[in-house]
Amino acid sequence: MHVKQDGSKYGVGISMPRRESYEKVSGSAVYTDDMVLPGMLYGAVLGSDYAHARIKSYDTKAAKALKGVKAVITAADFDMQRCGMLIKDEHPLARDKVRYIGEPVAAVAAIDMATANLAMQLIEIEYEELDAVFDAEEAMLENAPILHEERDSYDGIVASPGLHNVASYTRCQEGELDVWETCDVIVEGVYETPAQEHMYIEPCSTIADIDPMGKVTVWSSQQSVFIPRQLTAEALGIPMTKLRFITPQVGGAFGGKCGVTNQPVTVALALAANAPVKLTYTRSDDMIMNKSRHPSRIYMRTGADSSGKLIAREAKIYFNTGAYADEGPLIGSVATFFSRGPYKIKNMNVETWCVYTNRTKAGAFRGFGVPQATFAGESQIDELAEKLNMDPFDLRMKNMVATDDKWLGGQNIDHGTLPGCLKAVYEASNLRERPKQQKLDNNKWRGIGVSTSAHVSAVLSASAVVKLNEDGTITINTGAVDIGEGADTILSQMAAETLGLHPDDITYTCTDSDTSPYNYQTAGSRTTYVVGTSVTQASVQVRNQIYKHASEMLESAESDLEILPGSFVGVKGSPDARIPFSAVAGRALNQVGGPIVGMHSWLYHNTPFDKETAMIEGFALDGGGVFCFAAQVAVVDVDKDTGKVEVVEFWSAHDVGCAINPKSVEGQIFGGVVQGLGYALFEELVWIDGQISNPSMMDYKVPGMNDVPYDIHAIILETQEKTGPFGARGVGEIPLNGVAPAICNAIASATGARVRTIPATSERVLQEILKLE
Amino acid sequence: MNYVEPSSITELMNYVTTVEDYRCLAGGATLVAMMNVGLVEPELLISLHKLDELKGMRIDQNVIRIGAMTTHTAITDEDRLTGNASLVRSAAGQIAHSAVRNMGTIGGAISHADPSADFPAALTAANATIEVLGPSGRRVIQIDDFFVNYLETSLTEKEIVMAIMVPLSPADAIGHHLKFSRVDGDYATVSVSLALAMEGRICSYARIAVGSVAAVPLRLKEADDILIGSNLEESEIARASELLLKSSDPIDDVRGSSSYRKFLIPRLIRQAVLQSKKELSYT
Amino acid sequence: MMETISLTINNEVHTVLIETRQTLLSVLRDKLFLCGTKNGCNHGVCGACNVLVDGKAMRACLLLAITLQEREITTIEGLSENGELSLLQKAFASHQAFQCGFCTSGMLISATALLDHDSTPSISKIRHELGGNICRCTGYVQIIDAVKSVCEGKTDCT
Ligand SMILES: Cc1cc2nc3c(=O)[nH]c(=O)nc-3n(C[C@H](O)[C@H](O)[C@H](O)COP(=O)(O)OP(=O)(O)OC[C@H]3O[C@@H](n4cnc5c(N)ncnc54)[C@H](O)[C@@H]3O)c2cc1C
Ligand code: FES
Ligand code: FES
Repeated sequence: MHVKQDGSKYGVGISMPRRESYEKVSGSAVYTDDMVLPGMLYGAVLGSDYAHARIKSYDTKAAKALKGVKAVITAADFDMQRCGMLIKDEHPLARDKVRYIGEPVAAVAAIDMATANLAMQLIEIEYEELDAVFDAEEAMLENAPILHEERDSYDGIVASPGLHNVASYTRCQEGELDVWETCDVIVEGVYETPAQEHMYIEPCSTIADIDPMGKVTVWSSQQSVFIPRQLTAEALGIPMTKLRFITPQVGGAFGGKCGVTNQPVTVALALAANAPVKLTYTRSDDMIMNKSRHPSRIYMRTGADSSGKLIAREAKIYFNTGAYADEGPLIGSVATFFSRGPYKIKNMNVETWCVYTNRTKAGAFRGFGVPQATFAGESQIDELAEKLNMDPFDLRMKNMVATDDKWLGGQNIDHGTLPGCLKAVYEASNLRERPKQQKLDNNKWRGIGVSTSAHVSAVLSASAVVKLNEDGTITINTGAVDIGEGADTILSQMAAETLGLHPDDITYTCTDSDTSPYNYQTAGSRTTYVVGTSVTQASVQVRNQIYKHASEMLESAESDLEILPGSFVGVKGSPDARIPFSAVAGRALNQVGGPIVGMHSWLYHNTPFDKETAMIEGFALDGGGVFCFAAQVAVVDVDKDTGKVEVVEFWSAHDVGCAINPKSVEGQIFGGVVQGLGYALFEELVWIDGQISNPSMMDYKVPGMNDVPYDIHAIILETQEKTGPFGARGVGEIPLNGVAPAICNAIASATGARVRTIPATSERVLQEILKLE
Repeated sequence: MNYVEPSSITELMNYVTTVEDYRCLAGGATLVAMMNVGLVEPELLISLHKLDELKGMRIDQNVIRIGAMTTHTAITDEDRLTGNASLVRSAAGQIAHSAVRNMGTIGGAISHADPSADFPAALTAANATIEVLGPSGRRVIQIDDFFVNYLETSLTEKEIVMAIMVPLSPADAIGHHLKFSRVDGDYATVSVSLALAMEGRICSYARIAVGSVAAVPLRLKEADDILIGSNLEESEIARASELLLKSSDPIDDVRGSSSYRKFLIPRLIRQAVLQSKKELSYT
Repeated sequence: MMETISLTINNEVHTVLIETRQTLLSVLRDKLFLCGTKNGCNHGVCGACNVLVDGKAMRACLLLAITLQEREITTIEGLSENGELSLLQKAFASHQAFQCGFCTSGMLISATALLDHDSTPSISKIRHELGGNICRCTGYVQIIDAVKSVCEGKTDCT
């Protein structure tokens, strides 16, 4: 921590306000839809009316003839290639076939929204309806309709050709298969989790502008400038030199704006109209056309001996990826990887299928496959505890992984911080003293539930450029999009800490694919760790260059120098022997050496699986990352008359290694817990005959202030991560992972009723309660 | 679309009678939302916000007259809504959230006749009457006759709701609107509205309506009659709710399945009656 | 139909040509470029579009601009004066009561309306009054803390 001359604190470990605070609280922050370009047209997308149909013909003449319409495009008149995050299976506008209701089939650009909407009504598309399939397991049956006839020829496909409608298949097996007889207790169940909608409050929005040379500049609400540029280039068959992606402020994303959303269509419209186009989804278009969390059905069996030692687990996980794979194969792999939970279970056999169906596609969402697996796994730990007549907390303590234990697949756990997290929630929630079940007024019952969860922080590559400006200030440039989680602030804090600067003396650039150094995406709880490492290392390089110059300027050994508050470098112990950074910059620019620039780029290397101990098949990832752990406790009240559940208090303990900005870490925890609470109790896209029946905020409910406790306790632990910048590891996703099982375990403790399908709506809870009566 | 703001009843009736395709605009919380998604686009929009007669509340002979343009917030804040009429206040405070309550009006709410809205059931239990004005003059519609079907009232074409009259008596009654919804501020999965009075241990007055379980608010005189004169024992409450349950015809939707709603009906009626009974025994 | 109306927004009179069916939200964003007011649902549910009309919080997406000619409208841009943030705005900054910031304008409008007629609301009153503003990022805790800090006259709002 540094203290500036005026006494203000900054740097790592300080809850400094967000750097963009002023813009955001004054209403002046600019999001994509806030931008207007001269001559800008308005875009709209027409969705398919059928869940599965062959496109026979288009008639866009009337739409094109409408006054004010500048472009109408379909796959027939705009050549687009298949693209996709892992499997190249999706056209930005459907070609030949539509595979879900609402799939974009045509797009319009017009002088205003009203005209665009009118034009959409004039587009005639003739379809030949095909049989459709909506359930993942049904889609795998021999006689199920096939969504992708050409699947086996798709780039990126890894599933074995025999599997009907399967986009990916993953298996991990360790230990023995036939050990069930050695188990004293076995629990077995089917767990179902819903398609959760991201419901970022800012619907997807993109503006594409085209310059006289045909280069398209794209502003979009997105999680990276690089992945969407790459996928847009692929889809439209144009070189990256003709595409420049920029990200203004992003109004939430949570994975839903990973990959591409409506960028390719917007760019295509701009090219077709030869004019700037804005395409902002309506809320319902966003819900229908953009992805959700993978709904899952998980068949799981876990066995233990009579002492409570876990012996074996077997799981078959079916992920419904909808019409297109998106990141499904990776998410399925992650689910497999986390299916053991943070426990030592010697014998594991887990298979995951990611299956095409005629529904809106599923993709990345905070947790990335872990919430599904954790719901099943953590529910079973409690079910086992009940059978064993053991306290569920003790059962967890007995079996949890710790430092130097192995993860599923054989990777070493370098920082086994779970025991600390469990102890922290145990103490904070006073778990020892709390009754497991308590009768309150009327027919209300109180219960308490525990869960643990894990995640990895860090994947793929990033880079950073840190520059010393002429006046001694610093500019940092990364490809990290701040989607609200605070990257701009914490990366500034890391540079500030390294260079002894006040963050006000640091500026950061907005992400721009033409000028920012590469970064994968704001995803995978990776920005603090991966981009933070690059920013810190690049800042160290700048500091070293400053020392080198200063040592010559002050005629003192580099080792005798130190950074002083106020952008000075000086000789230790000689207050007068100091020079400002600006003097160093001036010297470098004009006299010796050239501009001072630090640059760092790296690729996080996954620790590979241990092929000796584990049989691994079909994984879209080649090993694990930096492990993070969490423990959570929920106290809930259940009204046995109605089944209504109220979460009254919640504890969430996380070992983040180092909290660069503690309030921001708490914000991630509070936000993740509440999103997890919505997942546990309320949120579910519902399809009826292939159609989403609740594509609005009126019908699909996310929790509001009165639906969640104010008493959410964020507990931050800091066991330094040896490899992380300032010892930090990520915390973006993990707070969500274990919320649903903690709540369902609490419901079971309150009522005896075990809910294996979430959301645990009042109706489902009541059904389970009635089964017991 | 044309827009007018009549400031007198004559002017209003003039528009209403001369234009075929018009809509009245009250708070707009429903109508504008529908316009935003292109569901309605009338030729003429007649805003009612300049008509003094539709504003404010006044008490006349033990009946409170609530102007159609009174917002849910104004009703929530109105402490003259006592006795039987306290029911209306209880319901108003549970509609949506404050920003919507600041806009939405009681006249708009009942004219829209959404069976899962709160006022239809509440006003049914409160035994309200609706004052309407049409080209052929004014008339008063008893609330039991007002709601005809899903989103359909007995207003004839060109009739407008002027006011809602709610009796304050029985003055010793208390009113409860028990709303069960998925999350705070959502439309009800099921709501139970009731006005109840006791003399000693005997129920002297009861009027129950259940919302969100049929195309219109569900009320049965026979059910009320079971409660009146009884001690409001569990068995009596059960018999009354059994009748209501039998007459219900709830739909399946995202707020709950039909069978779940049927489960809720007796349970919520019981909760509401017992809660009222308890409160009455304290007063 | 197009019509010219005048609207008083943040104490300034704007004369603007609008369509009769245009909502206040659309006029603010598309005609007057007062883009701090956000569109999250255009259906009255999320609260991102909240504005004050005669001091009361309302949904700009459900108000027709043409009905508001004699009303006083305050948007997020009107909460600060000459660039000086209100106490609530400062508290939102210091408590990190936002992440993506997309709900923030509406949230601040609701909170301002609340504190205007109750300067010391309880936590349950705060939750009740802000309950119609959906935030998908923060989990609400830091928002409640920010509002509470202003009520308590805490001066750590820098
Ligand atoms: C987000 C949200 C949540 C909501 N939640 C609830 C809830 O939980 N419970 C609930 O009960 N309601 C709820 N509502 C509905 C809302 O509270 C209003 O009651 C409803 O919108 C109607 O009132 P209004 O004044 O806005 O009517 P408007 O929208 O202006 O009009 C509605 C209809 O009634 C007609 N009309 C209006 N006034 C008259 C009149 N005097 N005579 C004849 N016809 C007339 C109009 O032409 C229109 O067809 C919610 C609304 C929103 C937007
Ligand atoms: S945009 Fe108005 S409430 Fe959502
Ligand atoms: S800060 Fe993102 S929605 Fe509230």
